[in-house]
Amino acid sequence: MDIALATLLSPIVLFFLLGLAAALLKSQMTIPEAFAKGLAIYLMMSIGLKGGVAISKGDLGWDAGLVMASAVALSFLLPVIAYALLRFTTRLNAVDSAATAAHYGSISIVTFVAAGQAISAAGLQSSGYLVAVAALMEVPAIISALIIAHRGAGQGENVAGSDRGELAREVLLNASVVVLLGSLIIGWISGEAGMKSIAPFFVEPFQGVLCLFLLDMGLSAGRGLRNGWRQLGPGTVAFGIYMPLVSACLAAGVAALNNMGTGDAALLITLSASASYIAVPAAMRLALPKARPSIYLTLSLGITFPFNLILGLPLYIWLARAISPGAA
Amino acid sequence: MHARRRLELIIERMAAPRACKVLEASGLTGYTVLPAVSGFGGHTRWSRDADMSASSDMVVIVSIGSDDQVQSALTELERLLGSHIGVLSVGEVQVLRPDRF
Repeated sequence: MDIALATLLSPIVLFFLLGLAAALLKSQMTIPEAFAKGLAIYLMMSIGLKGGVAISKGDLGWDAGLVMASAVALSFLLPVIAYALLRFTTRLNAVDSAATAAHYGSISIVTFVAAGQAISAAGLQSSGYLVAVAALMEVPAIISALIIAHRGAGQGENVAGSDRGELAREVLLNASVVVLLGSLIIGWISGEAGMKSIAPFFVEPFQGVLCLFLLDMGLSAGRGLRNGWRQLGPGTVAFGIYMPLVSACLAAGVAALNNMGTGDAALLITLSASASYIAVPAAMRLALPKARPSIYLTLSLGITFPFNLILGLPLYIWLARAISPGAA
Repeated sequence: MHARRRLELIIERMAAPRACKVLEASGLTGYTVLPAVSGFGGHTRWSRDADMSASSDMVVIVSIGSDDQVQSALTELERLLGSHIGVLSVGEVQVLRPDRF
């Protein structure tokens, strides 16, 4: 209960709620687009660097490799479950279901960052390699969803002007993957000594920048909800809430099998429960252009992200504690 | 002044490179891509500041060329718009330097 209250009353969640409320009340407040993109890159650089420095201290062993492999397998599997649930419980067609499923197998880096703050506030420790896990979980779900779409919905036509490499470039070289993995490697190479010299920019202001970014996220989520809520039926909205819980339970099983510490388990559970709203929508516009963005974007950003941020995080920490009660 | 065709394509940003390739392959000598701010279509309002991924942003591509060049582009653009969100219009314009188009 304490964690739930502390999460709800943390500045990042309160700024998110401020943005959400402002957008739902039709406030004209905006954060300039280029500035918001700069904030996103800053946050990814910062967590990538911190993860790299942690790895440079000897954080990467066979156990970490096993967790990474399990996380990739999970990211492949989750869209299959999501697709089956969407087809069974909603009226979405096969293409919309496949595109939406991809979002729920991939991850939200902002939810991951918020989870990092929440587990620190709860007095738990986490390992740096989880940043690499986050980057690795971005891509498999997209491939999985494309296989589903090609088999189930026959989506494979040759679109005019397309070339063979464009989707691979978008999926493997999108900003999240490049910046996260690149910063992780830079942090790993430069180590703690290198980090010290850039800490005044990448460490101390992190919390404040995160608040600014969450304010923008609130505005985006609110405007997305306002524009797209008519496209979502009750079954689809319910999916946006129960699917993270299904993913969280599966990830808890994976964390228990890998004997992960509570903090690491909480992060893996959060990653699995989160839904992408940056990397996957862009890939889906190229790969499955007939899928409706008003459905998958509204669902992942307008329903699942607020749910995870406000209610999910304390729940995932509780779940991590339940499966690894002795660890910290 | 000389008569030419002006092609205006409002299309989702992610598909813009595909549209540009079609225009180049059709022999059109140039085009300009402009950002679109917000709009309404397909029962949905859209706005640049409601999408973190910028994947549902729209752009406007403007190109001017001869009848033949524009006709050649239209067949492929129609195929492109079969998959992607967009609106295409063609009109007649007067240009000062015909050798450029």
